[in-house]
Amino acid sequence: MILTGNEIQRMRENGSLVIEPFDVRQINPNSYNYRLGPMLGVPKQDQNGKVNFDFIDIPEEGYVLQPQIAYLGHTLETLGSDRYAMSLIGRSSLGRLGLFLQVSANLGHTGSCHQWTLELVSVKPFRIYPRMRIGQISFWLNDGEPLLYKDGYSLHNGPTVSKMLDSLGLDSMKDSVDE
Amino acid sequence: MILSGKKIYDEHAKGRLNISPFNIDHLTTNSYDLTLGSKFIRYLDEIIDPTKINRYEEFEVGAEGIYLNKGDFLLAHSVEVVGSNHFVPIIHARSSIARLGLFVHVTADLIDIGSHGNVTFQLFSCLPVRIYPGMRIGQVSFWKPKGEIDLYSGKYQGSIGPRVSECHRDFTIRGS
Repeated sequence: MILTGNEIQRMRENGSLVIEPFDVRQINPNSYNYRLGPMLGVPKQDQNGKVNFDFIDIPEEGYVLQPQIAYLGHTLETLGSDRYAMSLIGRSSLGRLGLFLQVSANLGHTGSCHQWTLELVSVKPFRIYPRMRIGQISFWLNDGEPLLYKDGYSLHNGPTVSKMLDSLGLDSMKDSVDE
Repeated sequence: MILSGKKIYDEHAKGRLNISPFNIDHLTTNSYDLTLGSKFIRYLDEIIDPTKINRYEEFEVGAEGIYLNKGDFLLAHSVEVVGSNHFVPIIHARSSIARLGLFVHVTADLIDIGSHGNVTFQLFSCLPVRIYPGMRIGQVSFWKPKGEIDLYSGKYQGSIGPRVSECHRDFTIRGS
């Protein structure tokens, strides 16, 4: 079952989930609108084809994403729950403009609580602004005792690059991710 | 919990969810197949800016269909009016469509409880593909909510045909 907006507010008040900072105007009938944090990871390919991310502060006048490139942003809010599973997706107002938020991995594990890394991919050049309401998070009941996720990416705030190479143990390739 | 196809049929019969027109042949095990309508929208500006009204053109497509190049982005709509005051709808592509490299939404698959209207599809193609009005392109599933329900009364309520983004309208709180 998915929590209604009222239930999200109620469960936040009793500490079953975290949304910080919180603004009641960002509650929807069955989700909460989160905002874009100030930092953005911009991918750069070096001469050997390796991808690194440069982290910049998104200017107040906005920053234009180039189409069909994956940038790493983050939620302004700390979001999480030890009780519910979460789904982080885009807003329909931005989907209608062709902005993908998250690239097919929208599931937030029970036990995670941090600023979430957002994968941003636009279909056309797209101007983003710091603190804009960019996506929505919904909360889902677990059936069964949750094994709390307290590892890996859940320890990080701000945009965090993929740790896939670490997990593969490919030390020789490690310098191809931004460390 | 997700409704089964049989449950979608029962709840539709009771008037607790709205799919109109309703065709029993469109029921699947866990969803209902949605049909592509004939109206489309294409944005015209080079750079999309969510704080502004982005220029667009609306056009109608006949039985010949429309050819999407790789990387094309169009708004389209479901023939059906979809909504529920009791369940949360979620939109998906049909897997047969996804296998053609076509997205039918751009990461916003969740529909607010209490929202009723034609679904706006956000079509993004990763391969060249021709699509036809009347084809079954998407599916809608229905999920049970927990907690007291406030019904949607937002800016896309009662949509007929595809609806462009109204994002610029909510930018007043950007700096807050």
